[in-house]
Amino acid sequence: MNELDALEIIGPEGVPLRFPRAPIVDRAMAFSIDLCLLFLLASISAAILVLAGLGSGLLSVAGLGLIFFFVVRHGYFLFFETHWQGATPGKRLLGLKVISRDGGGLSLDAIIARNLMRDMELFIPLVALGNPAQFFGRAPAWLLLPASLWLLVMMLMPILSRERTRLGDLVGGTLVVRVPKAPLLVDEAGRDSLIPAAPGHAAPEFESPQLEIYGEHELETLAELLRKAEQGNASREDLTLVALAIARKVGFFGDAPTREPARFLRRFYRAQRAHLEGKLLMGKRKGSKFDAS
Amino acid sequence: MSAMTPPQAATTSHGPTRHPRSVAFRRAREAEWAKLDALVERALKQGLRTLSADELHELPILYRAVLSSLSVARKTALDRALVDYLDALAARAFLAVYGARRSTRHALRRALFVEFPRRVRGLLPELGLSTALVLLGALVAIALMQIEPGWYDAFVSPALSAGRDPQASTQTLRAALYGGGEMGEGLGFFASFLFTHNLGIGLLCVALGFAGGIPTALLLFQNGLMLGAFLKLYADRGLLFELGGWLLPHGVPEIGAVILCGAAGLHLGRALFLPGRLRVRRALSQAGRRVSMVVVGTIPLFAIAGLIEGIFRQSVTNDMTRYALGVFNLCWFFAWLILAGREARARA
Repeated sequence: MNELDALEIIGPEGVPLRFPRAPIVDRAMAFSIDLCLLFLLASISAAILVLAGLGSGLLSVAGLGLIFFFVVRHGYFLFFETHWQGATPGKRLLGLKVISRDGGGLSLDAIIARNLMRDMELFIPLVALGNPAQFFGRAPAWLLLPASLWLLVMMLMPILSRERTRLGDLVGGTLVVRVPKAPLLVDEAGRDSLIPAAPGHAAPEFESPQLEIYGEHELETLAELLRKAEQGNASREDLTLVALAIARKVGFFGDAPTREPARFLRRFYRAQRAHLEGKLLMGKRKGSKFDAS
Repeated sequence: MSAMTPPQAATTSHGPTRHPRSVAFRRAREAEWAKLDALVERALKQGLRTLSADELHELPILYRAVLSSLSVARKTALDRALVDYLDALAARAFLAVYGARRSTRHALRRALFVEFPRRVRGLLPELGLSTALVLLGALVAIALMQIEPGWYDAFVSPALSAGRDPQASTQTLRAALYGGGEMGEGLGFFASFLFTHNLGIGLLCVALGFAGGIPTALLLFQNGLMLGAFLKLYADRGLLFELGGWLLPHGVPEIGAVILCGAAGLHLGRALFLPGRLRVRRALSQAGRRVSMVVVGTIPLFAIAGLIEGIFRQSVTNDMTRYALGVFNLCWFFAWLILAGREARARA
């Protein structure tokens, strides 16, 4: 997860939780899907009611259609965000969720507040853009500039604001995040099958001074290489190259890096991680080889 | 350990038998994590309802266990894959545990009878300003029409006045107060139109608060102008009493709701420009949540006003009955706002 795209909230237990920020494109897509559904739902049901009302001559039924349209238009987001754990159908399709910025549960008033602003930030500017003459009416010219500027700023909030939130999220105190998903990868230090030495050869061993050189950054890079090798995405030449570089750097003598580079690297990784984690317990952190230990 | 130590010693002390601590840490907890992972997956995909009672009981316990694993892993494990996994798992479990919905019916009742009146009472300065703006509008309209009755056309659009203007005869004006009864079946439609139209304006009033509350204030002032113009027009013809009967029943919930929405909008504007000691972001979200509860309360107000205006006013033409309903409305309206939700606070 890119640090810039991570949103951190403190849960009720006091442990910071990290969520990936929902990208603007995803949010726009989710909103388009919702808008289509909303439009379908509202127009079909309202049309049925209005037609039934006109057909039977019962104007009250048509009035019911009017109310229904209003309820659907304003209630769609409210209903799904309260009932589907902070996700409308569009958000659910794209794996997005609304969460409360303060780390508590998503409350009803937060949901209402964030949806209340939708008219303000989207529909009003759209109406103003579509039909400025009617929207601004007889407003004096000196009022037009600040008013349009204001509308523009509000509409572009998701692009302008540092946290990429829309107005409704600001007012509701909410965030839209992507539901995080990370598979549990195999621990490269826990693979025992490759660790024992081949018959006739002693397994490569490393001493404390040899493990003082690298830090966490190099360790993580090595883990990625090992993972690649495990999937068959790293050639033996690459592994040998890295193994030789490490051997030279830490002062390892022997033919292990050229004879069996994968095993050498894996043993070095395990020893290096054990060493660094041991020091971490003592409160000493070594970020990379450039940090003083 | 020095480089002089013989290899055998290294083998026994920290050689091949030594795993990184995080390996053992992970092995001891992996099964627990996988269990939570499966539970959370189901809870998020199919809803909490698909979990059995035992699983529901286990979910928060496993969640807290994973939180503690995460805290330990962040501080002591040097396996990015492991920390990323725990990060994602804890975040998803948080969504499953705290995203659960509460009973809507209970929440609604609480919102209407506890939260709404309480929030309204917390908005006293804005309520005062909002009421003052409407009154000021009314006074300005009355004063201007005193000088020149033609001002009426500036305050009330022809579409709204529908013939009720200074040129109309007293007879026409009186008829407008008692007319509409012939609409018959159309009343329901009229009521729902009024409801949705007025509520839409109320919502706009709140949302416009984000533009610093200025449009909200203008909207309130304009409503006051309209009100004042009508009052002056009818008072000049000696029809004030009749107008009161016409206006009071639906006017109490409707004007009340407009003033509430206006106060809510002004509150938002205040949070934006005068956040006080809070940061704007925090002030805004607090104001937003307060204001949303006020909006919830105005929905039934607009609905009641729509019903009275669309049906009752059109079919009941007796002045005394109209005044009785008006007084009744005044009673419950103020009782609701002033008294409701107080004992709950004392208990809480």
